Amino acid sequence: MIESFLGSWELFGTTWMVGLLIAGVLSVVGVWIVARDHIFLGAAVAQASTLGVAVALWLAGAAAGLRSLESDAGATAFAVAASVATAWLAARVGEGRSESHEAVTGWVFLLAGSIPVLMLAHSPHGLEEVQRLLFSTLLTASAGDLGFFAAIAIATVWAAVALHERLLLVTLDPELAGALGLSRRAWAGALAVWLGLAVGLSIRSAGTLYTFGCLVLPALIAKNVCREVSPMLWVSPLVAVSAALVGFVLSTGLDWPPAHTSVGLLAAGLPLAWGWRRLRRD
Amino acid sequence: MSEDTPVLRARSLDLGYGGEPVLRGVDLEVRRGELWFLIGPNGTGKTTFLRGVLGTLAPLAGQLELEPELRDRRRLGYVPQRCELNPTLPTTVREFVRLGFVRSTVPRGERRATRERALARVGLENRARASYWSLSGGQRQRALVARALVRRPRLLLVDEPTEGLDVAAEDAFRRTVVELNREQGLTLLFVTHNLHLAARIATHVALFELDGRVTTGSASELLEHDVIERAFGISLDLASREGS
Repeated sequence: MIESFLGSWELFGTTWMVGLLIAGVLSVVGVWIVARDHIFLGAAVAQASTLGVAVALWLAGAAAGLRSLESDAGATAFAVAASVATAWLAARVGEGRSESHEAVTGWVFLLAGSIPVLMLAHSPHGLEEVQRLLFSTLLTASAGDLGFFAAIAIATVWAAVALHERLLLVTLDPELAGALGLSRRAWAGALAVWLGLAVGLSIRSAGTLYTFGCLVLPALIAKNVCREVSPMLWVSPLVAVSAALVGFVLSTGLDWPPAHTSVGLLAAGLPLAWGWRRLRRD
Repeated sequence: MSEDTPVLRARSLDLGYGGEPVLRGVDLEVRRGELWFLIGPNGTGKTTFLRGVLGTLAPLAGQLELEPELRDRRRLGYVPQRCELNPTLPTTVREFVRLGFVRSTVPRGERRATRERALARVGLENRARASYWSLSGGQRQRALVARALVRRPRLLLVDEPTEGLDVAAEDAFRRTVVELNREQGLTLLFVTHNLHLAARIATHVALFELDGRVTTGSASELLEHDVIERAFGISLDLASREGS
């Protein structure tokens, strides 16, 4: 099985590298999502990226002058814009009291789930693209994606190391962070942009399932195996990258879709982590 | 810096939200080593005043001055009313206390020893590696105090820390506060509804009233039966002052 995986490297090396980088980056962002208990926000942001892609395809079909939006770059730009805007708006709404955070993210999720299909219902090519995103495949990852994710992975590692203490405080206890002079609004905005950027870029390369799976499952596993939040920042990406790698090896040997295999492994790992925490009794 | 320089001085201070003052014309001067209790009915602006001192709420009018060493708030300690921690998250007492170092002046090389001293000060030195969630309510409040103490504060703000504690936990908390004030000379602003506690340990009291005014004075002046009855609408005879 490993030989077959290594043999596939020449053809799919970029795909596997992009998949591993996506897993690593999203699993660090996911620590914030899980720590703040905003898991549904992750799903809503991923869904909103799909809406961004749909808007790009719809505009490209509606006006001849906007045909370039059909390109990878155009659709990715719209996906990123939609996910960053959703994450940022959700963070702002969370500050108010008129509606709960869950209600707003639920509304975004449903809106972004239904509108793309309606917009592209009469465009066979567009609808196919939306279904591809929802289905999740890593096989379309390009060298450009690899460059993007390498850059975002470096930025993520830098942020996790250099801003570790502040990140931890903002994640764990935003009220104290505000009292100690950190701007709650600026930090919530920055984290939302980080989430939106990572999810928006990932959606085009890996689809909704892989993106959402790598965002929340490794962090949930890390939460259950760690005794403190601080080590979650390295345990979560370790779990994500390991599961993705094993998933890619299995998928090559068994001819399974790689994204689904990796997410299936992570999902299977979570009950084991729950069991571990129960055994440890804390 | 003269010992007589006020740690904190409010002059004709208005504080509030959305341009609407909750507190009006507050005049108050806190000096080193004083233990102030901020008392008053709900909604009279006690926590609002603390927010002003913390710098998270700008004055609508008047002035709120801190001594030069406190102006960047790095040596302010804050014990909040409650903690927003997600209860499903794993965290230990030491990690929780370590959060207090953010934007502090404590050098990295001294942080471990500072943390251990703070935990010992509140009697949690043997629980450093324990899960924060395994602590009792009183121990969690003491962990909050330790988190504030690691900043080596010159002024400690404490917001309703004894709410929901049983008598024993409240007593342990009271002893910790008294030790910090009397043995270490730490200046404290203590928001509470617990008038009996105020009567026992306060050196000064600020009485927050429903019209947004604040009356200040010594504990013996302001914890008089008639003053309490006028402010709270209840008849209460408070226990005599501790150590007096």
